[in-house]
Amino acid sequence: MPSSTTAENIKKAFIVPGQPHLALTDGWPELTQAFKKAGEDARSVCPDVIVIYSAQWLSVLGHLFQSDPNPKGVHVDGNWHAMGDFEFNFKVDTSLAKLAEEKAQAKGLATKSVHYEGFPIDTGTLVALKYFNPDNSIPVVIVSSNVYADKEDSMALGESMGEALRESGKTAVVIFSTALSHRFMTEEIQSTDDRIASEQDDEWNRKMLDLIQLGKNQDAMDLVEDFAQKANPEMMFKGFYWLMGVLGTPNVPGELLAYGPVWGTGNAVVEYSLNN
Amino acid sequence: MSHRDASGEILAGFIAPHPPHLVYGENPPQNKPQSQGGWENLRWAYQHCRDKIKALKPDVILVHSPHWQTVVGHHFLDVPKLKGLSVDPIFPHLFQYDFELDVDTELAEACYEEALEEGLAAKKMVNPNFRVDYGTITSLHMLNPDWDIPVVGISANNSPYYHTHDYAQDQMIKLGQATRRAIEKTGRRAILAASNTLSHLHFDREPAIPEDMSQEHIMSHEQYLWDMRFIELIRQGKLDEMMDILPEFMEKTFAEVKAGSLVWMLSAMNFPKIPAQIHGYGTVIGTGNVVAEWDLDKARREGTLTEEAMVHA
Ligand SMILES: [Fe+2]
Repeated sequence: MPSSTTAENIKKAFIVPGQPHLALTDGWPELTQAFKKAGEDARSVCPDVIVIYSAQWLSVLGHLFQSDPNPKGVHVDGNWHAMGDFEFNFKVDTSLAKLAEEKAQAKGLATKSVHYEGFPIDTGTLVALKYFNPDNSIPVVIVSSNVYADKEDSMALGESMGEALRESGKTAVVIFSTALSHRFMTEEIQSTDDRIASEQDDEWNRKMLDLIQLGKNQDAMDLVEDFAQKANPEMMFKGFYWLMGVLGTPNVPGELLAYGPVWGTGNAVVEYSLNN
Repeated sequence: MSHRDASGEILAGFIAPHPPHLVYGENPPQNKPQSQGGWENLRWAYQHCRDKIKALKPDVILVHSPHWQTVVGHHFLDVPKLKGLSVDPIFPHLFQYDFELDVDTELAEACYEEALEEGLAAKKMVNPNFRVDYGTITSLHMLNPDWDIPVVGISANNSPYYHTHDYAQDQMIKLGQATRRAIEKTGRRAILAASNTLSHLHFDREPAIPEDMSQEHIMSHEQYLWDMRFIELIRQGKLDEMMDILPEFMEKTFAEVKAGSLVWMLSAMNFPKIPAQIHGYGTVIGTGNVVAEWDLDKARREGTLTEEAMVHA
């Protein structure tokens, strides 16, 4: 029997892609439909908060926590600017962010909270919010992906978030936004011609997803290093350590809602149902 | 800007590093955070460039920025006026800059056409809500804080991080050639800026006062030696030798020239075998930065930039 070591108030967790194609175009229907379903499933548990780790929010000076209570503005992706704009206006649960940051500091991690008008919100976060929080009614906590963080740091950052969530008692949904293999086609393509950039990338993506689907999350974590070497996942897939840090590495299977290419990169929508 | 006869030329090219600290240290009205100064050797180096650029009366400054990363092709800013607030995601406490820039769209489109002609994937950036990256803004501000010269912004295609060194280099050489032809065909008097740092390993914590210069130094002696090796070669005009050591330089110091800005610029200038003028060298949070100039206008006038010397070996 699978068992969950996860704090009871964490209801669901997801791994989702961060590609704007899934939010601003209709060229990738399978992944988009899965994303939509994931968002509906998340809202069905009426979370008090959505927690996001985005592999597209890079930081260098420690781990960043968004602490502007109401980020708003327009974001245009650096590469996919022709797809259109992300207008955003959402709420941040600043007290939970602060609590998680304090816990991370207590574990010796360098952290910073960011509260600046015009601070760029990354594409991955905004894609996730489109499906998980379409009316922006649910407060969110967003943490960065530190370029220099190793496995230990990333897990500790996740554990801090898990402890903060447990202490807050808030009902939560946790999201890791990332691509799997992260090699783009370098020319213009039609979405119908899209495929994973190489067979090796595809093979390694599936290896990782197989373990996740079996609930072998510890084994999946053990595979991350090889996966990073072989398939060049976004930010070396270290957000998975963070996710398992938050959840306490439960042996709960992740349900694969969809897997497929976006401009050559590998992308999956995975749903963990933890405490229902 | 009126279309000119085909008599355009590149007046000068600058290595114009973009740590936002340099804007922060200067306290210009466009930037919100306030400092007590800092990084003067680099900021004073830029002052020389500003004077030179004013005297040359260019039509346009073209900048290639590693912080506008694109995965499909080389992109060109192609909106007549771009404005907004650019906040550096890495150093937001140092850089919150109100930018407003005029793009030379005719030249941008010519660059785009010529890039296609070279067989490169290219794209025009026509979204008016686009937020210009802090690398582009910092280099342009440091070269011309008056912003009274139109610009062309070029993205850094990140193929150098996916493909082999030779393949990536080849792309940048082609992009440089395309840029040069576009400048010539549109008759522009152009300044080029390669927005990159040299050695790029850096500290991941900063002092309580970021501009506390008692804390600023190169990350390692090895990095310093590599930077000096690079600088010595360009000072002597030995570009072939510099190009030979470039792969190792990138590997050993994570040199930001890997993003392609430098090779793009040198290729556009036909790899001029003239000494680069070093305006200054300094470190920023441990990285090595040089402000350097190839003054083609002067070399042409003095006859040291011969047609033979213009040919890339
Ligand atoms: Fe940089």
